[in-house]
Amino acid sequence: MTAQTQPAARNRKLLIGLAVVAVVAVAGLFAAGMVLSAQPGKRPAPGSPAPDFTMPLYEGYRAGFPETIRLSDLRGNVVVLNFWASWCVECVKETDALEAVWREYKDRGVVVLGVDHLDTEPAARNYLEGFGVTFPNGIDVQQQVSRAYRITGVPETFFIDRQGVVRRTVIQALSRAELAAEIEVLLAE
Amino acid sequence: MSRAAVAQAPDPLLDDRVHDLAKQMNCPTCAGRNLADCPTDTCAQWKDEIRAQIEAGKSERDVLNYFQDRFGPTVMQEPPREGALLLVWIAPVAGAIALVSAGVWAARRASARKRLSPMPPAIVSEDPYVAALEEQVRQS
Repeated sequence: MTAQTQPAARNRKLLIGLAVVAVVAVAGLFAAGMVLSAQPGKRPAPGSPAPDFTMPLYEGYRAGFPETIRLSDLRGNVVVLNFWASWCVECVKETDALEAVWREYKDRGVVVLGVDHLDTEPAARNYLEGFGVTFPNGIDVQQQVSRAYRITGVPETFFIDRQGVVRRTVIQALSRAELAAEIEVLLAE
Repeated sequence: MSRAAVAQAPDPLLDDRVHDLAKQMNCPTCAGRNLADCPTDTCAQWKDEIRAQIEAGKSERDVLNYFQDRFGPTVMQEPPREGALLLVWIAPVAGAIALVSAGVWAARRASARKRLSPMPPAIVSEDPYVAALEEQVRQS
C-alpha cells in the first residue's frame, strides 16, 4: 500500500463510522419516539380477549372489591368497562345510566367498572359524588389501561363477556336501554 | 376581612409558580399544547391541582413527580433523562456531530482534490503554424 492510499482508506473508514453514528442517532430518536407513544398490541376487537390489567380503586368507590382490582379476577361476570373523565361533557350523559344498570344487575353477575382517564383526584371525586356513583371506579395510573385498550377518547365502553372476551365497543354515551340490552344478551349466553 | 376572602385573594407569586410548573407540562388532551397556555377544562383542573399541591407545601419536584407517576412521562414537555428515553437527548447531539464531521471531511477532501488535480489539457489551435509552435514549446 502506498503512502497516499493509507490516508484515503483511513478517511473512508472515518466516513463510514460517521455514517453509522448518524444512522444510530436517527434510529435512537425513532426508538425513543416509539417508547414515548408505546401502545402495547392492537385495540381489542370484538371477539378478542380483553387485555388484563390491575387498577387501584378510589377509596369509597370499591363496591366491596379490593384496593386494587384485576380484570381477570372478574372472569365469570359480565363486565361493562367504561372509560370516563370528570371534564368529559359526553360522560355526563351516561353516568346515571351506568349507575342504574349497576344497581339493577350487580346481583346477577354484572360488574360495571369505571376507569378514570386523565383526571385529577379531587375533580374525579366531585364528579362521582355529584352523580351518587356506587359502582367501582379506579385510577388509570400512567394511562396503562387506556393504552392497553387503545381508547380514542372518552366516553368509551367495552362489553366483556363471562369468558373475558370483548364483545362490543361503543365510542359514545350510552342510554340505560342500550346498556341493559347489551347486558341481557351477554347474560343470556 | 373574612377567612374565605383571604383564601381567595390573588397571589401573584403562587400564580407564577403554578405557571412555571404548567409550562413544563403538556395539555393531556390537546396534542402538543402547553398546559400553561391551554384554556380547556381539563387543563384548568390540572392547574388547580398544581396550585393545591404547592399550597400544601409540596416542592416543585414533588408536584412534577406526582403528575408523571400518575399520568406517565408523556405529560412532561421534556422527556425524562433516564432509561430508553435518554436516547432522545443523546441521539440528536450524536447525529449533529456526525453530520458536521462528515461535512467537514467532505469539504477538506474536495479542497485537497482541487489542489492535486492535473493541469488542464492544452488547447490545440486549428492554425497549423500555431499548433506546431505550441507543440514545440511543450516539448522544450
